Amino acid sequence: MGTAVRADLHDPASLAALGHVEIVARWIVDGFMAGLHRSPRKGFSVEFADYRPYQPGDDLRFVDWKIAARSDRWVVRQYEEETNLRATIVLDVSRSMAWSGAQLRPLGSTQAVRLTKLAYAEILTASLALLLLRQRDAVGLVRFDERVRSAVPPRARTGHWRRVLAALHEPGSGLASSAPEALEQAARLISRRGLIVLVSDLLMEPDAVERTMRGLRAMGHDVAVLHVMDPAEQHLGGTGEALFVDPESRLEVPASVADVRSAYRATVQEVIAEWRSMLHSVGVSYETVVTDRPFGVPLRRAFAARQRLP
Amino acid sequence: MAFLAPWFLLLSGAALVPLLIHLLRRRIGVQVEFPAARYLARAERDHSRTLRLRNLLLMVLRVLAVVLIAMAAARPAAHVGGAGHAPTALAIVLDNSLSTAVVEGGTPLLDGLKQMVHDVLASATADDRVWLVTADGAVRGGSGPALLEELERLRALSGAGNLRDAVASAVALVEASGMDARQVVVLTDGQRSAWTEPAPIRSGLSVLVHAPDRSAPPNRAVALAEARPARWTPRGTIGIRVLGADSTSYRMALGERTVGRGTVAPNEEAVIRAAPVERGWTGGTIEIEPDELPADNIRHFALWIGPPPAVRAAPGAGSFARNAVEVLRASERVTDGGGPGIAVASADEAQRLPALLFPPADAVRIGAANRALERLGIPWRYGALRREAAVARGAQLDGVTVAARFLLVPHGVPVADTLARVGGDAWVVSGPGYVLVGSPAAPEMTSLPVSAAFLPWLTDVLTSRLHTEPGRVWHAAPGARVTRPSGADLLEGPAGGRTALSGASFDAPPTPGTYFYIQGARRVGALVVNPEIEESHLERWSADDLRRRVASGGVTVERDRDAWVRLAFQGASRRSLIVPLLLAALLLLGVEMAAATPSARVRQ
Repeated sequence: MGTAVRADLHDPASLAALGHVEIVARWIVDGFMAGLHRSPRKGFSVEFADYRPYQPGDDLRFVDWKIAARSDRWVVRQYEEETNLRATIVLDVSRSMAWSGAQLRPLGSTQAVRLTKLAYAEILTASLALLLLRQRDAVGLVRFDERVRSAVPPRARTGHWRRVLAALHEPGSGLASSAPEALEQAARLISRRGLIVLVSDLLMEPDAVERTMRGLRAMGHDVAVLHVMDPAEQHLGGTGEALFVDPESRLEVPASVADVRSAYRATVQEVIAEWRSMLHSVGVSYETVVTDRPFGVPLRRAFAARQRLP
Repeated sequence: MAFLAPWFLLLSGAALVPLLIHLLRRRIGVQVEFPAARYLARAERDHSRTLRLRNLLLMVLRVLAVVLIAMAAARPAAHVGGAGHAPTALAIVLDNSLSTAVVEGGTPLLDGLKQMVHDVLASATADDRVWLVTADGAVRGGSGPALLEELERLRALSGAGNLRDAVASAVALVEASGMDARQVVVLTDGQRSAWTEPAPIRSGLSVLVHAPDRSAPPNRAVALAEARPARWTPRGTIGIRVLGADSTSYRMALGERTVGRGTVAPNEEAVIRAAPVERGWTGGTIEIEPDELPADNIRHFALWIGPPPAVRAAPGAGSFARNAVEVLRASERVTDGGGPGIAVASADEAQRLPALLFPPADAVRIGAANRALERLGIPWRYGALRREAAVARGAQLDGVTVAARFLLVPHGVPVADTLARVGGDAWVVSGPGYVLVGSPAAPEMTSLPVSAAFLPWLTDVLTSRLHTEPGRVWHAAPGARVTRPSGADLLEGPAGGRTALSGASFDAPPTPGTYFYIQGARRVGALVVNPEIEESHLERWSADDLRRRVASGGVTVERDRDAWVRLAFQGASRRSLIVPLLLAALLLLGVEMAAATPSARVRQ
């Protein structure tokens, strides 16, 4: 993957088809870093180091407005890293994550080939871990479905990334998502204040999640939630009648797609708004991640969350 | 609203399809995995009322669209509001038969009917196509003013006409018009005897009928006036019969001269004897006192008056024929006086014409008979003797039995009338100056000489067919098709005017009277034109019966005069609803699409 096309801005499915998670994640991070002027040591910390062009997703606090006023160029200030963050990525590997909109083909859905939510989330996790490690942050991983499947404590050592990658290949796809337990496990892995990133489709009960989030915030952790969604889950493509079955709870809902599509879209927007409202109310950042978007977009969201930390 | 093709309404059964789909939609069995099914369930739960209403709305729209399309296919037409009427093909059938000349309330019924036509024509517009069809089948078209002029000139027919055919013509006119709004209106006196068979009308065509609902006044009419025989030599009788409730007085006239008066009982035949001084073909009338329908109070007849013919019966004719001639001579129907006269003889002894010829009783004489026939120029020969029991068929000779007969074989193409047949063979033939019988006048050969029909038949043959004054009387209704007698060149009317005749047939004069056929310079027969006696029976159909006279689903019988005039253009305002219904169906489908597509526009 050359530098002419940055991998972090490439179509996820096409990119994933080119290699294993390890390779793809490296391309993504390299591309992402190239967008940061190839300066992995430059972040948004205390000591000023350099300027670079503004990119969408950059924190507006670091835009140099004087330069923008003088030269009509938008640049952001970069600073030397000073701290060593301890971050844990909590990845949902339940069965609902192993799904893509291609499974709606019997209804005439014409979606392009897309990654499952899990595949997308795994590449995103690997990329985020690599990015954090390159900034000399300690990175851990917790995978969960109805229980915690694997837990990798945060480390900043060289070679720790391969351990994270190896954990990603461990089995999962349970029939439920027990995020509270996983989040508590992640908190236990971090001995001091740190960053916890939850990557999940959030097909779970929000009340328990809210209670856990409040606990994490009370412990001083910063939490970011990346809500992974397939486009078909957002828009419900296709036509005709079908019995829609939840692969985890076996909930069966008969519906005519054309008839219910509008109401479904409204409901999804309501759910997103509810998650966003609930998480913001407890001080947790929340972003939706759609699996047809380039990896650079959610990576930048997560990276921005990290940059807000000391 | 009426449907011109109602069987297409069965298509509305297709409305069950969206209905069943709506009711059975939850049974469709495609199953897909969908992790966000909880959102789907929540969407249905949260929006269940909206979804149910929307589904119900879609179902109703689809059912209505199907029903509207089915109704459009059934070609609906309905009365729609608003002033005026759509451009219309209107055929007005005016029954101007003789019976409509009856005077009711001091005014001829026809005048009232004409006034109604006048009112209808007054409401016609320039965009309408209007025809006036009368009972004689005459069709008048054109602008409103032109038709009004025609209407003013219209008079009652002298006969029955044919109202059924007139209605059929009117229907054909409006159906060929190509216009959407079609209407046939019928004005009649509703006479039972004149409209006996239903008019064949395409189902659904709007037909509006008016007939007065009051009873017809009592009527008297001359039902029969007939000279018996048609040729008087010079005496004869007139048979008369009068329809009515009471006896009535009559007057009999020959030409302009009254030859008799009297009183006759109703519905009974009376015979009037006379020996007038007139000679040749003459017309006469029987006339009764006038009543509400004057046109049938007079009836015409024709007769020929002249001296009796001289007849000589030869011995070979047989004793029965000779005795019959003697009887006629005794009654002065024939004479034996001066001149050769008419011969009644066996064919083998015939010397001259005119002659009534029988075959010889002895079959050996058949050769001589045939030679005599050839010598006399008669284009017939006697063939083989055929002995078989058979019954003769022919005027005056029906029922006469024949035991043996000689076949009558034509020689060349004879100009002759066949007066009677036995089986398929000619048995009695008549030509110029001769009447040829196939069996001898003997009881063992045929019952003719001993039958009651023999003497009248013989009288008719001698006084009409073989008399030196040829010709006979034909009867016809006004305007009826009549076969032209051979040799008749002109038709002379009662006032003396003459009309040239050509072709095999011609239409009888529309005015009743006695007309004479002219050949060269002399009368050779008479055509008596009288109205059909059925026209004198004025009883009327009930409304239901009138409705059955029109085999159409769209028939309306309106007894009230003003209401009928008001409804005359009902068919016009009954406009086709095909386009509005299709537009409505299209609109419903558009609404259905709009209601169904908001969710279909989202990104797939």
